[in-house]
Amino acid sequence: MPSEVIYEPIEEFGLSKKNVSRTLFSKIGIIGCGLVGQNIARVASFYGIEVVFIEVNEDKIREAYKNIEKVLDERIEHWGITGGEKRAILSRIKGTLDYQDLKGCDFVIEAIRAVDRGGKIKERREIFQRIEDVVEPDCIIATHSTTIVITELSSDLKYRDRCVSIHFFVNHQEARLVEVVRSLYTTDESFQKVCKFVNLINRKIISVQESAGLVSVRIFVVLLNEACEILMEGISNIEDIDQTMKIGFGMRLGPFEVADKMGLDKIVRWMDNIYNEFGDIRYKPNPYLRKLVRAKHLGMEVNEGFYKYDENGKRIFQNNQKC
Amino acid sequence: MKILVLNCGSSSIKYQLFTMADRKVVAKGGIEKLGMKGSFLKHVRQDGQVVVFEGEIMDHKIGVEYILGILTSEKHGCLKSLDELDAIGHRVVHGGEEFNKSVLLTEDVLAVVTKCIDIAPLHNPPNLKGIRAMEELIPGILQVGVFDTAFHQTIEPKAYMYGIPYTLYKKFAIRRYGFHGTSHRYVTRRACELLGVDYQTQSIISCHLGNGASVAAVKNGKSVDTSMGFTPIEGLMMGTRCGDLDVGVVQYIMEKEEIGLRSANTLFNKHAGILGVSGVSSDMREVEHAKANGNERAALALDMYNYRVKKYIGSYIAAMNGLNILILTGGIGENADTTRAGVCSDLDFLGISLDTEKNKGFRSEGIISTPDSKVKIMVVPTDEELMIALDTEEIVSKIKK
Repeated sequence: MPSEVIYEPIEEFGLSKKNVSRTLFSKIGIIGCGLVGQNIARVASFYGIEVVFIEVNEDKIREAYKNIEKVLDERIEHWGITGGEKRAILSRIKGTLDYQDLKGCDFVIEAIRAVDRGGKIKERREIFQRIEDVVEPDCIIATHSTTIVITELSSDLKYRDRCVSIHFFVNHQEARLVEVVRSLYTTDESFQKVCKFVNLINRKIISVQESAGLVSVRIFVVLLNEACEILMEGISNIEDIDQTMKIGFGMRLGPFEVADKMGLDKIVRWMDNIYNEFGDIRYKPNPYLRKLVRAKHLGMEVNEGFYKYDENGKRIFQNNQKC
Repeated sequence: MKILVLNCGSSSIKYQLFTMADRKVVAKGGIEKLGMKGSFLKHVRQDGQVVVFEGEIMDHKIGVEYILGILTSEKHGCLKSLDELDAIGHRVVHGGEEFNKSVLLTEDVLAVVTKCIDIAPLHNPPNLKGIRAMEELIPGILQVGVFDTAFHQTIEPKAYMYGIPYTLYKKFAIRRYGFHGTSHRYVTRRACELLGVDYQTQSIISCHLGNGASVAAVKNGKSVDTSMGFTPIEGLMMGTRCGDLDVGVVQYIMEKEEIGLRSANTLFNKHAGILGVSGVSSDMREVEHAKANGNERAALALDMYNYRVKKYIGSYIAAMNGLNILILTGGIGENADTTRAGVCSDLDFLGISLDTEKNKGFRSEGIISTPDSKVKIMVVPTDEELMIALDTEEIVSKIKK
């Protein structure tokens, strides 16, 4: 009679015994699990990749889990995934305080919150250093950034040829696009690996030369500045400007709606960075935008930005919103 | 003759090794989580011993290589060398309008299978990967493709065309293809074999009720209609698929729920069916258990399931102008006697009378209708792998002669 199940390592049973290689991107690391980190963790885990994220304290870890779960619940409610898929996704995501847990990662993304960065590049350089201390030389190290140049960030590393900068679009689920920036050091091999990863998570890759604001942010900030200008000149109101862009140009969301979703403080920081880089007045934050940020009307997150929102994030309609 | 049957899915490979003289399975198993972390291969030896091989299995080629490695290994294998293998039989999901029977896989054939990727983007690519891997690992081995859609290619245009602009059929080949063809073909033939009647003279309805479910009408040895259509979502209500649905509902839900194509796809394929209606599970046993405990929605889901099957039986009797044999197969058809009873109830008018006593707990192959029932109701456990092996044997024998 057959006994219990026998377990064997499969490597010994290959025909040629030489094809023993690891699945690429079976595990990735994320430093900082704010909105962006959570989004990357959720997406990667959905596609079967194990995720380790590093936070600064236990509270932040709990908060990240809670938010990821919340988004998944919303996805279930809107028929995007099933309960079983949610459980599987959560089981693959692990939060930790220890950089040592990054061991074995094929890809590590620094995505610390902009507010924690304070705009300083020093902290991020240190993070890159700490990542390099733990991972293998062929592990890709990336920063999630649109305005910081990756060449500068990676220049202190021992293996700086494996660094890239990436930019996910976290505003809405269907934005299946990632901007990838090569540094002066990045090798073709590293870049191809990043492309593989992006393919694995079913996103389209946009290869961008190193330049502050990339494609997406640079165009968007000018659009928003101009929209604010039109508003300030009293030419039209918020609602109508958004409608014009949505219906007239087939955009999913108007410039003010996008801004509210992204967070006005974040956008102002982007603008400041790009303005500092290029010195072009087009990128300088519009006074009305600054006014809203000073008043802490930062967007949907605080229920008020260009528009007002109720506690469920649903817009409260007001007539002819003017500034 | 020794034939290896392969069924390559996107993240799994199932295999069975047959010795054709006695139609016996000498080894079988499968790889799961292919290309993912935690991939493994579960192998069942001839003596029944289960062996689990753990480790990274990155892609189909490596998976196939391990399968061949295990089959020829001294410790767990049953082949001295790969030379003992006479042919490989592959399950290929979509043959489009090009294939109405199993074929030897030549470069020309593979080019056509590749063309079919357009209408079966999920299924055909892994099938092709398995075929290519085998070709590389055992150069020159004879390989046969057995198509899920081939059996239904005898369906006439009046039954396979949809009421949509004809240009769309010309442009994208949108029409009913049907699936589970290998299963329907196996059980209908097998039923005739068991009854000792001529396959070419019978009107048969075959209900494949498993995770996916479809009904086929087979007249004089030919499929004349089937419930699955362009994709496997049409027809019966299934575990998590909605089955037939007013297309107006799709548009209405998408608008009201503010969802896109992807979510809509998940909604109708994964949140619907028995699971969606009952809110309990997609597993028939769990839903039946819930019904026994007074869960009304579970009872409703089961009623709906049976009713849909029954409606198809009725319409196919009309389509064939009569019926000789009604077959139940698939996980549910072979095991769920309550479903069988539900499906066959109140059909005496059509000459379908279930022997309720015999049906209870019936788990094998045979007749479950009353002796005076005009239509023979039968349970025939499906065996797609054997069918693939038999097709492969037939084609390869001709070539070798």
